Amino acid sequence: MTRSLFKHLILILGAIVVIAPFYMMVSYSFKSPGEIDRGEGGFFGRQEMMIDERCVKLRDPDRRDIALAADRFSGQSDDQIRQALIQEAEADCSMRPVVFNYTKAFTEAPLLRYLLNGVIVTGSIFLIQVIVALPAAYALAKLKFWGREAAFGLVLFCLLIPVHAIALPLYILLAKLGLTNTYAALVVPWTISVFGIFLMRQFFMTVPDDLIDAARMDGMQELSIVWRVMLPTAIPALLAFAIFSVVAHWNDYFWPRIVVTGNRDLFTPPLGLREFKGDGDGSFFGPMMATATVIVTPLIFAFLIAQRRFIEGITLSGMK
Amino acid sequence: MGAPDITLQPLTKDTRPVPATVQERRAAWLLTAPALSLMVLILLLPVVVAAILSFTDYALGNDTFRWVGWKNYSHLFTRRTYEKMFLATFTYVVTVVPISVGLGLGAALLINSLGRFREIYKTIYFLPVMATLLAMSIAWEFMLHPSIGMINRTLELGCGTLFEAIPLIREGCADRFPVWLGDKRYAIWVISFIGIWQGFGFNMVLYLAGLTSVHRELYNAAEMDGAKSAWEQFRLVTWPALGPTTVFVVTISCIRAFQVFDTIEAFWPQGGGPNKSTYVMMFAIFEKGVQQNLIGIGSAITMLFLVFVMLLTIVQCWLVERKVHY
Repeated sequence: MTRSLFKHLILILGAIVVIAPFYMMVSYSFKSPGEIDRGEGGFFGRQEMMIDERCVKLRDPDRRDIALAADRFSGQSDDQIRQALIQEAEADCSMRPVVFNYTKAFTEAPLLRYLLNGVIVTGSIFLIQVIVALPAAYALAKLKFWGREAAFGLVLFCLLIPVHAIALPLYILLAKLGLTNTYAALVVPWTISVFGIFLMRQFFMTVPDDLIDAARMDGMQELSIVWRVMLPTAIPALLAFAIFSVVAHWNDYFWPRIVVTGNRDLFTPPLGLREFKGDGDGSFFGPMMATATVIVTPLIFAFLIAQRRFIEGITLSGMK
Repeated sequence: MGAPDITLQPLTKDTRPVPATVQERRAAWLLTAPALSLMVLILLLPVVVAAILSFTDYALGNDTFRWVGWKNYSHLFTRRTYEKMFLATFTYVVTVVPISVGLGLGAALLINSLGRFREIYKTIYFLPVMATLLAMSIAWEFMLHPSIGMINRTLELGCGTLFEAIPLIREGCADRFPVWLGDKRYAIWVISFIGIWQGFGFNMVLYLAGLTSVHRELYNAAEMDGAKSAWEQFRLVTWPALGPTTVFVVTISCIRAFQVFDTIEAFWPQGGGPNKSTYVMMFAIFEKGVQQNLIGIGSAITMLFLVFVMLLTIVQCWLVERKVHY
């Protein structure tokens, strides 16, 4: 009894360390700058109304504003009108810290655009990976042809090359083709997943030959066998691969950092967050953590819903 | 093309072997051609390009380049900056790999021996593997903030209590707490800590998978042979049974550790940390090759990097082979 209590104690301590940055990230995304500075307010902060200084400054009344407002405040001096207008601005610009942080996250930088880019890039990468890898995996697993061993040997050799390691020559080739700062640059190096080919080949080896022979007798071409017979049998393996691929590319920072420079329209979520950090000052901790939370949440949420599949997918590379 | 084939199909059915192989061969090459050509273009060609450029002084935008022989490589082994690069990279790898593998194994063994709450621990420990590392780096940066960060605030709580016996806290209370990321004594260890934090859950899951394949009977047999204590059982049964998993986990942790970049770029966009104490290879490739357009030197680092990764994998294969022959 005490033994298992002790084990739980160790595991709980570990869990606290693991969760701490997540806790802090979400908590800061709720708090006002003052609360972050002083380290108070618990997890959610007190959520007192706060005034967005920048918003007030933007609405600082000039001569024309005062002249326009003269009707509303008839009989008052310019100075009084000015004060009244500032008060109005402050009233309009005050909000709860959580609202402030999350609206800033979406308005200071085109976060929605970044998220959309993330979806476009990860989506196209996965789609092309499947279109390229599946036929090759089928041929390597089920067709007899001269050079099959050599082709498979090439696959095994390429497994040794991490794409990040050859980023520099890839970048030079893409630059020579004039492709830097395009979606193509973000997608092209990942279109070939040697690991995907290897994985699907291992899976196809277990599919009985009879299934393929039957399809051939029905007069199916090899290519339609791939998509209409093999693909449906491979759904579980494909799903695991999808998770593996999407997680890797949604989170990837190194490659986008190299090929996308300056063009905000192409920023993926990590790049957007990085830029936010670059030009943020101290008062922007809250919005920055809100951005971070928004970027991290989709995968974590999906993970919590389909945990078993995710762990399967991510650790795929560990299966024999 | 498609239509006649379909009508001919019934005829070829009886004499299947001969025409099928011709057809099969053609189909096979058509199906593998896209994958094979992409492999050559995207994976093999860049390796060749890097190998060639590492002997030149090429820069993007220049029309010509000069051959410089082994100069780039000799720079790597003589200049102070690159000495720091190797030191930072190897310190990181040598710290992160054993600890993250050890913690992964420890967590897996603990979780595996529990009856309840296994899933919760598993989920929590796996969270950092899923999360965008760049976002979490920024979260860590706030945690490590010298004055308002959660870590130094927590350490401050130790002032005036028994915890003051710990040198770090005593010095912190007397003077001030470490600035962590700004201090060259701590920077590489902080980076290593985050690397471990992010990676050990992955190793844990691999070990948990490995543990399910250890047979119950082996433990019973070991117990009959006199291995009663948990440690003896671990040493005689669990550890050898996990051998292949360990080889794999160590290799993949090494390759991942060599590629550390996100945390370093997030904390120190310029220069790789205080006094270049965290100037790892990936960052060097990025800084020299991409930012400073010194393609030759960047390519030389790339080649060394590839050599390290290949050596690691070859050692792994050798170890696995040896296991098979037992």
